[in-house]
Amino acid sequence: MSDDLARLDRDGALAEALGPLGPATRRRVLRTLAAAGLIGAAGPAAVGGGTAAAATEPQGDIAILNYALTLEYLQSAFYTEVERIGSLTGETARLARIVGGHERAHVRMLLDVLGSRAVAKPTFDFHGATDSQNAFVRTAVAFEDLGVAAYKGQAPRIASPAYLEAALAIHATEARHAAWIRRIAGILPAQSAFDQPASATHVVSVVDSTHFIVGRTQAAGMPGFTG
Amino acid sequence: MAEERSGAAEHTASRRAVLSGASLVAAGIIVGGVGAPAIGSGSRLGDAEVLNFALEMEELQAALYEQALRHAGLTGELAQYARVVGAHERAHVAFLRQTLGSRAKPAPTFDFGEAVTDPDRFAGAARVLEDLGVAALDGQAANLTKPSLAAVATIVSVEARHAAWIRDLLGELPAPTAANPAEGAARVMAAIRRTGYVQGSV
Repeated sequence: MSDDLARLDRDGALAEALGPLGPATRRRVLRTLAAAGLIGAAGPAAVGGGTAAAATEPQGDIAILNYALTLEYLQSAFYTEVERIGSLTGETARLARIVGGHERAHVRMLLDVLGSRAVAKPTFDFHGATDSQNAFVRTAVAFEDLGVAAYKGQAPRIASPAYLEAALAIHATEARHAAWIRRIAGILPAQSAFDQPASATHVVSVVDSTHFIVGRTQAAGMPGFTG
Repeated sequence: MAEERSGAAEHTASRRAVLSGASLVAAGIIVGGVGAPAIGSGSRLGDAEVLNFALEMEELQAALYEQALRHAGLTGELAQYARVVGAHERAHVAFLRQTLGSRAKPAPTFDFGEAVTDPDRFAGAARVLEDLGVAALDGQAANLTKPSLAAVATIVSVEARHAAWIRDLLGELPAPTAANPAEGAARVMAAIRRTGYVQGSV
């Protein structure tokens, strides 16, 4: 997905927001992942190495759903904020309104399932990505493509058929969002015949590198992502 | 193609016969001679049966795009859509055939009528088949082993992208719901039957 981000972020605006992963950030990401059960109690190589193979099996559906919840918190906050600021017009504004509604619905779905086991909503700083239409579109393309890859990476690891059904229903919707925003961005809605999955390790490192999440999540003893 | 469609009434009876039984068996949806939709009722089928079901969907889509590109006089973004998506569907067919090996069923024959001669009808047909493809693949997820699910998942989101693209071109909402619905095999096959596109049993 790093390559995808680089390819999609043609003007480099998003790349400006993507600082390199410093050692302190790596340690925070690693602790977060381990606490959420998404990786084993591995060494720094699990994140520092940046390879999907470094992640071990998640410990269960609840960890996966909390991981999904954090991604949905991030997306819903992004769309909600851009709508509040009112920086979009036309078809892009329509997309933000409709897709934002979907992301908020995904949050509610996951909260319903997780109940008291849900991670708390982090606080966010989108660093200008919600301030202009161009920045919004580039970021939304990256978010939606990443969301598709993230759900795809976890779907085969979900044990519960009911959770799997819900995850796949969201997965396909994220792919529709991705195609829609990509068309608005003037790039191919469907880039290749096969969409590749992304590991949790990779997704978290990408999200963390944006510094969009500034507040630590803490619920039921399961910290989520950190900035 | 349009001329062939003028014999639609004549075709209807054979279509009904073919699709109500033979094609379902061919697609592996009905097993053991049981007429009830096996997958829809929660039975677990083998990966090969489900992948053959997916293969039939992909063959149907690939043929639609191939024929429309030859006969419908597509222009502009609709032509680009058909070229790009048609290539994806062919890649999906090739992937599923390679995966299934000798277990792969032969492709049925299709009659798309005006859907491959008229651009508007083509767009409408593509929208129906892409939405259906997403629902059909998601509906089989629980019947697949995890490795096969992982493989099918790389296809299903691409189908969802296709569906969103063609819906956008048609002026419809690309993503109409927060949770993309899945469909059981029986409903999928009924929807395919209603299109009248599948002519031959295998």
